[in-house]
Parts: sequence; C-alpha cells; structure tokens
Amino acid sequence: MLEIKDLKSRIGDTEILRGLSLSVNAGEVHAIMGPNGSGKSTLAQVIAGHEDYEVTGGSVTYKGRDLLELDPEIRAREGIFLGFQYPVEIPGVNNAYLLKAALNAKRKHRGEPEIDAFEFLKTAKERMASLGMDPKFLHRGVNEGFSGGEKKRNEILQMAMLEPELAILDETDSGLDIDALKAVAAGVNALRSPERAIILVTHYQRLLDYIQPDFVHVLSGGRIIRSGDKSLALELEAKGYDWVREAVAT
Amino acid sequence: MATETENLETLVNRRYEHGFVTDIATDSLPPGLDEGVVRAISARKREPEWMLEWRLQAYRQWLEMAEPEWAHVHYPKIDYNSISYYAAPKSDADRPKSLDEVDPKLLETYDKLGIPLHERARLAGVAVDAVFDSVSVTTTFKAKLSEAGVIFCSFSEAVREHPELVRKYLGSVVPRRDNFFAALNSAVFSDGSFVYIPKGVRCPMELSTYFRINAANTGQFERTLIVADEGSHVSYLEGCTAPMRDENQLHAAVVELVALKDAEIKYSTVQNWYPGDEQGRGGIYNFVTKRGDCRGDNSKISWTQVETGSAITWKYPSCLLRGANSVGEFYSVAVTNNLQQADTGTKMIHIGPNTRSTIVSKGISAGRAQQAYRGLVRVMPQAHGARNHTQCDSLLIGKQCGAHTFPYMEIKNPTAKVEHEATTSKISANQLFYCRQRGISEEDAVNMIVNGFCREVFKELPMEFAVEAQALLNVSLEGAVG
Amino acid sequence: MNQLDTAGIRSIVGRFPTTRDEDWKYTDLAPARDISLRWLDAGATPPAVAGDREVTALTSEIDAHWFVIANGTLTRRPDATGVTIGQLPATDRNDDALAELNAALLREGLRIQVSGTPDKPLGLLFIDTADSVAVSQARVELVLAAHSDVDLVEYHVSQGHAEHFANTELRIDIADHARLRHVRIQSRDRNHVQTAATAITLGRDSSLNMTGFDLGGRLIRNDLDIELAQKGAAAVFDGLYLAGDDQHIDNHTRVDHLVGPAVSRQEYRGILNGRCRCVWNGKVIVHEGADGTDGDQANHNLVLSEKAEIDTKPELEIYADDVKCSHGTTVGQLDETALFYLRSRGLDRRHATQVLTHAFAAGLVSRIPVAAAIQLAEKLVIARLADLIDDPVRNDVTA
Repeated sequence: MLEIKDLKSRIGDTEILRGLSLSVNAGEVHAIMGPNGSGKSTLAQVIAGHEDYEVTGGSVTYKGRDLLELDPEIRAREGIFLGFQYPVEIPGVNNAYLLKAALNAKRKHRGEPEIDAFEFLKTAKERMASLGMDPKFLHRGVNEGFSGGEKKRNEILQMAMLEPELAILDETDSGLDIDALKAVAAGVNALRSPERAIILVTHYQRLLDYIQPDFVHVLSGGRIIRSGDKSLALELEAKGYDWVREAVAT
Repeated sequence: MATETENLETLVNRRYEHGFVTDIATDSLPPGLDEGVVRAISARKREPEWMLEWRLQAYRQWLEMAEPEWAHVHYPKIDYNSISYYAAPKSDADRPKSLDEVDPKLLETYDKLGIPLHERARLAGVAVDAVFDSVSVTTTFKAKLSEAGVIFCSFSEAVREHPELVRKYLGSVVPRRDNFFAALNSAVFSDGSFVYIPKGVRCPMELSTYFRINAANTGQFERTLIVADEGSHVSYLEGCTAPMRDENQLHAAVVELVALKDAEIKYSTVQNWYPGDEQGRGGIYNFVTKRGDCRGDNSKISWTQVETGSAITWKYPSCLLRGANSVGEFYSVAVTNNLQQADTGTKMIHIGPNTRSTIVSKGISAGRAQQAYRGLVRVMPQAHGARNHTQCDSLLIGKQCGAHTFPYMEIKNPTAKVEHEATTSKISANQLFYCRQRGISEEDAVNMIVNGFCREVFKELPMEFAVEAQALLNVSLEGAVG
Repeated sequence: MNQLDTAGIRSIVGRFPTTRDEDWKYTDLAPARDISLRWLDAGATPPAVAGDREVTALTSEIDAHWFVIANGTLTRRPDATGVTIGQLPATDRNDDALAELNAALLREGLRIQVSGTPDKPLGLLFIDTADSVAVSQARVELVLAAHSDVDLVEYHVSQGHAEHFANTELRIDIADHARLRHVRIQSRDRNHVQTAATAITLGRDSSLNMTGFDLGGRLIRNDLDIELAQKGAAAVFDGLYLAGDDQHIDNHTRVDHLVGPAVSRQEYRGILNGRCRCVWNGKVIVHEGADGTDGDQANHNLVLSEKAEIDTKPELEIYADDVKCSHGTTVGQLDETALFYLRSRGLDRRHATQVLTHAFAAGLVSRIPVAAAIQLAEKLVIARLADLIDDPVRNDVTA
C-alpha cells in the first residue's frame, strides 16, 4: 500500500529525514518509535503533504501512485488520514460542519452522492457514544476550547467517520489519561481490517499495550535503525533508546 | 461555498455579477448644484414649503462646510458640480398602482439581481420597497402593514401624507449640519423610505428595501427615517447592488432611527455595491451617515451589517443611548479586496444611566485593500452604570493589504465598565493544512475559516439574509488566496 | 541670555500644538503656553542652579553613576569605565514647535556613549528648582554600543512650588545585540508642566525592557517612540500613572515595526481619583514587509472618582500580513466582590480599597527591570497611592 524508499526531507536548513525506507501493506499495524527529534512527526507530516517540509530525495508510492505529487487534500480523499499531534483550533467553524464537508469531499472524489444529513448525524452520534464523547461537541467550534484529551478523541472521531485506508496517528497517546487512552485504542482497533493499514507514531510503549502492532520500527537520526515485532517495543521500554543506538553502532 | 468542480481560474476572473445597465430613459437634472437645483428637486416632488425651506437651510450650511479628510481613505477630489442631483425613472409622473403596471424592463432588472418581487417577497413574508435610482416605484404588502397601523412608504409620500411625523423626527437624530455629507444629503435627498411603528405594535413582517444605483453620473442621496413608538418592534433589512460603471459614483445616504420607550429597532444591511475592478477603476463612493437614537427608557437599537462592496466606504452606524437602560449593538463584517478602501466602525454614546452597548467588528482585508475600524465609546458623566464590550478582529489575506484599528474610548463616569479587545492575524497555515488533510480544498477551507471568523455577526442576521451574506462573502474573496 | 530672541520664542510658543491636532485631541497645552509667556514677560531669566545638598539627598537613594541636569544644565557627571561623555552639537529643528523650542533655548545637550557592561546603573537626574515661574529645556542622547548591557535610571524631580514648564528630549540608540533595562520615574511638583519626548531605536537582536512611573506634575505629556529597526529586536515596556486632583497625565506611545521578526509588548495601568484626566494613546505601526511581527498593547484603568476622566485609544496600523497583533483595554472600578471579601475579613472599606489598589499597581512595580531602583520606585508609588486614596477631601471612594 505504502512504499517509502530512501526518503530525505528537511525543514528550512535542517535536514530531518536522512534516507528512510518503510513498506506498509494493507491489514498491517506499524508502530514507529524513537526519541524526541528523531523525525517521527516529520515522517507523518511528509506523508500527509505539509508544505513546510521539503522532500530532497527518495520516493513515496501509495497504492501504486507517486504520493509526493499530490496536494494534501487529494491525499486525504485518496484515503490517507493524519491524526495530528496538536489538533488545530478553528474558532467559529462547527465541528459537525467540518466533518460533513470532509466526508462529502471524499465521497464526491469517488463519485458517490453526498451523505444524507440524517444518516450523518446518526452515525456521528453512534461513533461519539462509543468514544465516550458528549454529542454536544458536534456543535462546538473545531477543537475550540477542547481539553487535550477531548482534542485527541475528536481526531479519532474524524478518523472513524472518514474510514481511511491508511491512518497515521501522530503521538495520539500523549497527554491522555488511562480512560481516554483506552477509548482512543478501542477506536483504532475498531478500524483494523484487512483493507486498512495503520501507522502509530509514539514515544512510549504504553499505547501498544492496547493496540497490538505487527511491526515495530525504531527511528533515530532520520533513519529506521531497527525493525522487529512487538517484543522490540518491550525491550526498548526496558533498556531505553540508547541501547538500540549502541547496538546498531557496534 | 465554491465547489471543487469550479475552476479556480474562472472564479478568480469572475466579474461582478450585477454589472449591467438597464436602458431606461431617465428624467434627470443637468449636473451642478445651486439653490435653483434644490428648488427644482423640491418642486418635482411637489413638496410643501417647509420641506423646501429645510433643504435650503441645509444647502446654505453645506456651503460653509469642508469635506472631511481624517478618514484612512484616499480618492481624487470630488467635483460636486459635475454630479447630477436628480434622476427618476420616466414613469414617475404616472406611478404604477401595482406590479403589473411597472415597467417590465425594470422588473427584469430586479430579476437579474435575484429579487423576484412576486414570489420571493411573498414567500419570505417580506414587504419590498424597491428603490430604482432615486424614486420608489413599487411597494407591496401595504394592506397587511396598514392593518397593523404600520406606515411604510417612500420618503416623498411621507412628506405629503404624514407631514406631522416627518417634521417631528426629520433631522432630530442627524442634524442637517452634522457633517459635510449629511448636509449635502439634507439639501438634495431624492427619496428613500419612511417607517412608523405605532405604540405597542410588533411589525408583522421584516421590512426590506433594495437599493440600486443606475443612471450614469447620478449621485444617490437616500434618506431613511424609522420611528418606533413606545413598546413597538421592527426589523428592517437593507440590501444593495449596483451595475458596473467606469466612473465613480457618489452615494451619501442618511439613515435616522428613533426608538421611544421600550421600543426596539433591528437594522440589518447587506451591502454589495460595485467595488471597482481589479485595477480599482470605477466603484461606488459610499459616504453614509447612519445613526440611531435610543430616546426612551429600555429602548434598543441594533445595527448588523455585512459590507463587501463599494470602492470607498465611510460609514459609522451609531447609537445615542439616551434612555435609561437602553441598549445599542453593532455587529459588522466588512470585506475589502483588490483596491477597496473602507473606514468604518461605530459610535456608542452613553448618556442615560445603565446603558449598555456591544460592538463586534470583523474586518477581512485581501488583495491591496486598506481597511480601518474607527470606533468611539463615550460615557458621559451622568451615565451611571454604563457598560460596553468591544471585540474587534481583523483577518489579513495576502501581503499587500492593510488593516487598521482606531478605537477611541472617552470615559467620564467612574461607574462605567468598558472593555475593548482586538486582534489582528492572518489565516494560519496550520488551520489551512488541517482542513486540507481532511480532504477540503484550499478555497473551501479559506471560506470555511472566514465564515467561522464572522460567525458571531452572521448569527445576528435574519436567517435568509445570513445565507445570502455568507455566499456574498465567498464571492467577494474569490481569488484572494492561492 | 541677553541675546535671546524673545520675539522668535513667542512665535514658537504660538505654534504649540492644539487640541485640533489629532495627536493632542485630549491634551490642551494652554498651561505650557501660559507659563512660557509669563516667563518671557518676566525677562526670561534662566533659573538658578540647584543646591548640591538637595541633589545629593536624591542621588544617594540609588547607587548609580549619576548625571545631574539641573534646570537644563549638566551639573554633575560621573566617571565610569566604558562611559564617554560629550556635548551635542546645536541644531536647528523644525519637526514641531516643542522640538523647535528645545533647540532654541537649550543651553547644553548631553551625549553619552556606553560600551560593555558598566558596574552600576547609569542615572539621569532631571531636577528643576526655580523659585519663580520658569521654563527649562534638556536634551540627552544615549548611545549603547553593540553587545553592551546597561541599566538606566531616569528620574524627574523638582524643588519648590513655582510654576514650571520643562521640555525634555531623550534619544536612545540601542545597537545590535545590546540590552537596555530602563526605569523612569517622574515625581514632579503639582505646579509643573512637562512635555517629554523619548525616542528609542533598536538594532538587531537588541532588547529594551522599561518601566515608567508618572506620579506627579500638573500637566504631563510623554511621547515614547520606539523603532524596531532590525530583526530580532524586542521592546517590552510598561507604565503606571497615578493621577489625583487637578492632574492631567497623557502617555502617547508609538511603536514602528520596520522589519520582522520583532516583538513589542506594552502594558500601561492607571489609577485615577479626584478631578483629573488621563490619556493613553498607543499606536503600533507594522510597516510593509515587517512579517513576523508580534505586537501587544494593553491599557487598564481604575477610575475611582466622579470627576475623573480617561481617554484611551489603542491603535493598530498594519501593512504586512504575517503578523500577530492584539490589544486589550479596560476601564473599570475595584472588584466589588473582592472589596466585600476583604471587608468580611474585618478590613474597613478604606483599607480594603487601599489593599486592592496597591495590588493593581504592584503588578507593574514587580516588573521593574533595574534591581537598584525597585526600592525607591516602590516607596514613591506607595506614598503617592496613600495620598491619592486617603485624602478625605478629594476621595469619593471611601464615602
């Protein structure tokens, strides 16, 4: 589904990704771990198409197409969803409105009719209930005055509604209490299917107790320095990132 | 909201939709202004002697006054002698009694403007007093209104039919010599609307007037007077479009509102006059004096405006809060694009005790436009317990535009609570990217963010007006981003 | 001064700004005109120089390298490493009538150049001591060399109660990477009129951190112009004005953001009691191309008397798009709930008022950037506040 080869990227004069390669197939869950500043968030932003990050080398292929050529909104309509580390507040814009506009943009892209207003509300409320969100959040400004946990739940709600093929969750677990973490994990697990892939970007092992990844990658200095299965995450937790770095160096 | 199928290029280059000229012979006075012209205007309207005398005094006062220069706008000097001060549709001598008698070409014009009088007026429950050039040509829903005792007619008719009311209130809120443009209007006003809501009456429908400027080189000098007697309530809607012209056209209207004890007036405007082209050619000069007088205790006047048009706007809808506990409100969205200039805001003058005012101003500046918010909150010594809250936000789109804020607060009473907050920012790149990551095009995302920015004001508009206003905003900002 | 061109001076006085000028809308310079003309009528004699003893009493309050400018004349200069002292050349000025007056009457302009980090704050004491109606001019230029790091105490005082008009100019040039911490205290007699123009230019990555206090004077007009001329400049400045009966205090600030990124933040607070008027006019201009500007203005006023008036006007003029500017202004009274809370704890209304008013002022006092000046400023503010709040004659708060 997603094929990243020797990807290099920088922001301003700072080189962040220095030849990163990663292959993700449908049905898989990948966890990308690494210390602060290793390039985890940059990878997520580059896949989503943020224009501040300049791609200086390598390639990214998504469903057989050159992903780097596409505008961010086209990537989204093609099924890529980024759960933001810091979800943005948009004052005055109704949460339900954004959700509906996003959903319809995607449906239109696929030649499907717009969603029925009643059906939309019904689905949205169901999904919110399963995420433990108060339905009144639908009618508030997008993330406006939301707490950290509320913002993250809102991201998962959007993901659940948009049903992406490739979901990238950038530090979705950070700043969550245990109840919120469980709700978010349940939302992600509900989305798991043989047609979908999920990339979890995280600093801690904690999230992986609730979402079992198929692969764990360690990112350091803009490259994946080690890949393995779930046990790698546990080993990291026990021994710290320095351990991998040293192991790789020797 | 623009859809993605629309090509951005066509959106950018879309011309002003209402830019066309209806070919109707006009009965105009030659350009120039002197006492003779004032007399001629008055004579054509068959006005009583007192009205002529009032105009002449205004004219003499105007001669002594100088054009104001303090506003943050620039335009070539206006030659007041090159303007024609009177134009009326040919059929004026024999006014139509019903819509069927109206010049079909005129009706066609309204159709092009999207104002199908027959259906829409009735469906919306709105009485439409359409002003074509300077003279009212048709009024609907008169019967229903007169049943309630409401007077809603052209200004000329009011001068003839209700002289006692006009004489009592005309110039009582905006005196003849209030300012240069008000004095000019007082001397040469052509026509406009008059509304009187009797004691205790809640006007049974929204009142609406569509203004339109047509004949070339004709200044338009509307005069509106709305009087809400004790305990009454009225909501008045004003909307405007104008045809495309290469020469600048001067518009100097005066609107006076009087709210007596326990009365409430809600005055909403959607203004979409021709702003000039991308090079700044043409466009309307909109120099308006709008003022409301909360004369009685517990009265309320609320101004809501969405302004996207005009080359130059100079406009400060204001409230004199005289009655105890009276309330003044000002909700405004102003959009300037290309080379438009706007200097607009409000004045809230707190005179009576426990008076309250709210100001919410949202300015959006794009292209090479310059926009200024100019506001005054004055609390007089006797206005105990006065309260004001002002929120004044500007949104910048593009590198060459300007947004300026000049709020004056003059507080002469120690029990006043006055708060003013203002922010200026551009649409954040993070907000745009967030929307685009959810699959929404950049154009739509901008519209969405701008509409969100203006939400506090839109929610004050009557429903059908709010929808129009949003659409207007999106059209006005087309091509501003990207 | 027998060669004084009195006709010329009269003509300059006649050209003082009036309330018809937008910048002087709320401040009438009539008292300055009146004092100037009476001084000219009386022969325009230069006032006598202040006694050294009084001056020493003042300068000993803060351990600093003091410059003393008495009635417009430099009477004491310090000897400090890194500090070079010179004279300003006489110039013709015609930018405005007040600058013209300064140029025409100035006896001696002072130029101070500073490099490195002086061991003590620099002090500028402006003292006017005339015992009959008089006019004085002062002009100082302070140049901070690149990478210098300076504390400055600017102190305006007077002796005696004669009517006086002081017209001062201070120009500060902060070169690249230099830092200035500046405290300004104005504590003149209530018969004094002062117009004070301060212009500060900031170079690349330089910083200004300033707090000003206006405690005295009959008619005070401060014009503070700050120019952020190079990238990375940051100007943070605050002001507190305390006005009682027959005082008029006007603070005009203007910040020019010429380039970005650069930061300006200002907060002025005022407490008004008695028949007085205060004016605050803050103008921030973001020039074309000054992207990355971050500007904030705040003005908060406590109005405690029926006869007090406050005119406040935060202006923004923005000609760039990548900017973040905001301002907030409030006019109000002491929080009734807080007053009640304190009274329920046994404080009488007057005492509670005092406590809350002090708290309002303390917010700014606590930001004084020059450690050596904190004690003096605190003492003067507390004394002025006590006078302002406690005076039963002109106080309608405690009634």
